[in-house]
Amino acid sequence: MARAVVSRIIGAVIAVFGASLIAFLFLRVLPGNPARLVVGPLASEEALQAQMEKMGLHLPLPVQYWRYIADFLQGDWGFSYGAGQPVLVQFQDRLPASLELGIYAFIFAFLAAVVLALAATYKRNPLVDGTVRTLSIFGMGMPPFWLALLLLVVFYEYLGLFPGPGLQLSRSTTPPPVVTGLITVDSLIAGDIHAFGEALSYLVLPSIALGMLPFGYLVRLLRANLLDVTHEPFIVVVRSKGIGLWRTFSRHALPNAFLPTLTASGMIFAQLLGGSVLVEKVFNWPGIGALVVDSILRKDFAVVQAFIIVSAVLYVSINAVVDTLYGIIDPRVRG
Amino acid sequence: MNPSDSPSSVETGDRRQHIGPTQYILQWPGRTAILLKANPDLAISAGILVILASLAVFGPLVWPYDPLAISLRETLQPPSLAHPMGTDHIGRDIFARFNLGALISLSVGATVVITGAIVGGAIGLISGVSGGMVDNVLMRSMDAILAFPPLILAMAVTVGLGGGLETAALGIMLTSVPYYARLIRSDVLRIRKLPFIESAVAAGAGPVRIIVRHIIPHTISTLLVQAAALFGYSVLSLAALGFVGLGTQVPTPEWGVMITEGLQYALTGQWWIGVFPGLGLLAAVAATSILADKIRDFLDPRGQYSRL
Repeated sequence: MARAVVSRIIGAVIAVFGASLIAFLFLRVLPGNPARLVVGPLASEEALQAQMEKMGLHLPLPVQYWRYIADFLQGDWGFSYGAGQPVLVQFQDRLPASLELGIYAFIFAFLAAVVLALAATYKRNPLVDGTVRTLSIFGMGMPPFWLALLLLVVFYEYLGLFPGPGLQLSRSTTPPPVVTGLITVDSLIAGDIHAFGEALSYLVLPSIALGMLPFGYLVRLLRANLLDVTHEPFIVVVRSKGIGLWRTFSRHALPNAFLPTLTASGMIFAQLLGGSVLVEKVFNWPGIGALVVDSILRKDFAVVQAFIIVSAVLYVSINAVVDTLYGIIDPRVRG
Repeated sequence: MNPSDSPSSVETGDRRQHIGPTQYILQWPGRTAILLKANPDLAISAGILVILASLAVFGPLVWPYDPLAISLRETLQPPSLAHPMGTDHIGRDIFARFNLGALISLSVGATVVITGAIVGGAIGLISGVSGGMVDNVLMRSMDAILAFPPLILAMAVTVGLGGGLETAALGIMLTSVPYYARLIRSDVLRIRKLPFIESAVAAGAGPVRIIVRHIIPHTISTLLVQAAALFGYSVLSLAALGFVGLGTQVPTPEWGVMITEGLQYALTGQWWIGVFPGLGLLAAVAATSILADKIRDFLDPRGQYSRL
């Protein structure tokens, strides 16, 4: 067990370094000189050379990579010349909004998937099952940015049920003091129920838009696993011992069907951060996504590199945690 | 559908009746009808794909409007008989643009899937066959690609290679390669241990012959199913790249680009500009994912995955 965990951690670290190395090399071999971006298109060749030396671009690539990693670990994530700000500051400003959106999208996807997968399998009503399967296919087939647009048209423009794009709180509400950066959490800490409710209402539409795809995937997986488990002999034994349908599902079928879903959930949660890019654009959400897209278009390497490393770390560490959890939950894996 | 069905024989109950090729072709519509009747979701999804494909191929030939023709007298018209999907802000007919968008999305999606399956399949095969150091290096690099947010990687590749539809396709293809490679590798590892490989070795078959004649044919079905499943991913990613202004360039009506154009007008009442291309994407992706499930059911007679 301990050995498995250690080798898992080593594998995770290697994957993160691999991703950072690929990101570094890839962004270096791209046509376009980052020093040119700083000095401007009209600057002389000497000015360009001087700037390249200042940025360390004249050094051999391995040295540049070593410097970058060393600086990164010390909290110097580089400077975004496109935005005129250190990258770390930009991330501190914008990452919480993306994380908050990702968390709520995941909560939506996960809860909806559990409820609907149970509904589809509980009494095997073909109508309910068909609806759930259709929803799942729709969820996986819809471009999230299009769903975002659709939700805005219906629920904001026509029905007026939820607030529109551009903000996390209405301008008349004072934001809670920053503790975690997540507005819903901060407002609860400050005991401000009004701000909490409002922040939630701003989160509803983007969370659904972002969570629909993972929902479609999870509900499909969970439904299939539930059906598989309910065909297993031990469920027949449980039922024949006189245990009710609900208890059979909640205590015996669901926990066993959860395991593959748990693995998938970890991957999905890690990818929601990178996937939120387009939904953030439609909702004008002040998250990291829009910044990264703009940085890619402007070839502002520092931001893209940092984003890739942050997402790789999130992805790899969440997966490692899930794998470890898996071993704890399922005694068969430990063996 | 039995894998042992060959064009020269058809199953009738327990008895196999040998028929000639002409008869086989003559019976084909009837057999297809029976198959579709038994699988309504297969019928619906195949129907959707046929409709989209014929819109893509024949739409531009039949429909009188040019997808790029600007008509300032007919801007922002809601759907009507003359313009079934309305017109956009410079009076272009959205139905004509939708059809051309179908052509772009479906053909690029197919190209990405085919090239990705070949590259990823080859990597998986090499990795699974050679093992050891080669396997380790290949699989760790696949892991590193997977650790990237896929869309960001595709965007970076597209920008790095200068933008445009071809580079976008290449970028998406690159992000899909690990999914094929990992799957094929595990398939190869499984097949290698099967008794028939051992007997082929005992019969004196060389490694090339074993790989080409025994291993590759057994991975084709896995590859096919994965390719069908990743078609939707490719089409949606292409639309996503178009949406942020990479890949297809304005005024070419790729579905993602059309959704971006619709975004500006969605909140002022002209919903049709952005809604129809999204419906096209939804229909294409949903239909192929149902189709992928069905193909898998047919290729997997043991029904291991039939409940998914």
